[in-house]
Amino acid sequence: MAASFLAEFLKLRKRPAAWVLMLVWTTVVILFGYLFTYSFVSAPAPEDAPREQRAQQEAFSEELLSTLMPENLLENLFVNGTFAIGGAIVLILGALASGSEYGWGTLKTVLTQRPGRLGAFSGKLLALGAILVLFVLVGLAAGSLGSLVVARLEDAAVDWPPLRELAKGLGVGVLIFAVWGSLGFALAVLFRGTPLAIGLGLAYALAVENAIAALPIESEAFEDVRSLMLGENTSSVSGYFGSSSQAFGAPEPLVEPGRAALVLTAYTVGFILLAAFFFRRRDVT
Amino acid sequence: MDDMPLVETRGLTKRYGQRITAVDNLDLAVWRGEVYGFLGPNGAGKTTTLRMLLGLIEPTSGTASVLGEEPGSPASLGGVGALVESPAFYPYLSGYDNLRVISRYAGVPRPRIGEVLETVELSARAKDRFKKYSLGMKQRLGVAAALLKDPELLILDEPTNGLDPKGMADMRALVRELGRGGRTVLLSSHLLGEVEQICDRVGVIHKGTLVAEGTVAELRGEEGLLVRAEPLEEARQISESLRGVEGVRVADGMLRLTTEPGRAAEINAKLVSAGLRVSELRPVEQSLEEVFLELTGGETV
Repeated sequence: MAASFLAEFLKLRKRPAAWVLMLVWTTVVILFGYLFTYSFVSAPAPEDAPREQRAQQEAFSEELLSTLMPENLLENLFVNGTFAIGGAIVLILGALASGSEYGWGTLKTVLTQRPGRLGAFSGKLLALGAILVLFVLVGLAAGSLGSLVVARLEDAAVDWPPLRELAKGLGVGVLIFAVWGSLGFALAVLFRGTPLAIGLGLAYALAVENAIAALPIESEAFEDVRSLMLGENTSSVSGYFGSSSQAFGAPEPLVEPGRAALVLTAYTVGFILLAAFFFRRRDVT
Repeated sequence: MDDMPLVETRGLTKRYGQRITAVDNLDLAVWRGEVYGFLGPNGAGKTTTLRMLLGLIEPTSGTASVLGEEPGSPASLGGVGALVESPAFYPYLSGYDNLRVISRYAGVPRPRIGEVLETVELSARAKDRFKKYSLGMKQRLGVAAALLKDPELLILDEPTNGLDPKGMADMRALVRELGRGGRTVLLSSHLLGEVEQICDRVGVIHKGTLVAEGTVAELRGEEGLLVRAEPLEEARQISESLRGVEGVRVADGMLRLTTEPGRAAEINAKLVSAGLRVSELRPVEQSLEEVFLELTGGETV
């Protein structure tokens, strides 16, 4: 397994697409996490607006600005949805990690070496896991840089979250990326290629989940279904770091963070087992 | 050659659904140290068989063993180098890095990469990206990858496919060289000339079934002489009485004598001294192509 891991890690490390996705992820953190919000909060309220409206906007801006400060790094990255967007990016990475082998026909090259199918599969998965941890660390680092710059611009104190909270942030980030990355990985194994896997994965992540969440149905059964969905649990697990500002108009999470973590873990294991089953059993033609 | 074949299949069968039988009840044995040619037209079942031997495809029924182990198991793959159909590598990596990836999978020390690149004469372009390689270079990289493990058994599936004449000649020379080193080679091809030039033994597969197996000489059939003489009937009677002639038959207005071709002068002298007019006398030269056409019912390759 170690030999397969080293081989797979070399492939991913040298793959330009992996670095492009990391660059996209870093840009997402900086743009959506900090730059856009800071541009909004630093814009002065219109002079001719009624006093009540100006006061409301200033209060909202202040609340937003506080989330951009270093002490609220995790709240900003997780609760405000930056890591949820990152999930879509790592879904692509997961699909590329397994699906490209089918497109290039390299699976036969891999599987005619020594490790055997499960050895090759485990190596592939471990290498993806290692890269996902790197993605989480880069996300946290980019967020730290963004918050540091905002604090400097605002002449505010630089207080970081306690180390324990940062470790929890790393864990939750890895969990979110693991579930979305393994979804992409499993879809690509299932469809023996990347295009359909990425297309369906992104359609689910960006359209289906949101459309279902927006349905005007108020029943317990519907909420039970929603509470099992990936996106809902991704939002809910972020509840470890606070709740979304009501000013954003975001709904309260349906699931308690601990349960959401369990659901995401179960999904990750399920996706991996599904991929392993097809990877091991199918003919390579 | 050892008592145990390096590759052995018994009743190996692969069906796709109810209607397609790609490989049908195949019994095959490849012995240590030989270069075995697996010959058949496109779609005959050669690649499917090789994929089953490498564990890439699960047989529907029958058994196979490679190096005495189950196909596709780490124990079997450890001693096998393979190039199946077109060489497949990572386009964004250099030739060298592609071999690095494979060497890591195979647990082969890094210096071996340089050795195999030398063997296939690709060292000078090793740092170029695979996607920039010509077809010939890709094929050579495929052979280099197959050699990385210094395998006991090399499985090469149509290694000259798509190559220009020079590339084909180079590849054949390389395979011959590898075979001479005591390595066992299982080579599939649809090119008769290639198999004839390279292989010690040949198995002919047609529509998933092994229709003939033997050395090239065995497949060509019995040795003999073709004689055109007049009168033909008298020539036949005299030929039958000659020492060393084991059989005589008439075909296309000529006599076909089953005998050693080296007796041509002696037979010519006997016939002429008997007052016959001999206008043609030559060895029977049935090519592998004729044998192949006979075996496959005229299907071309």
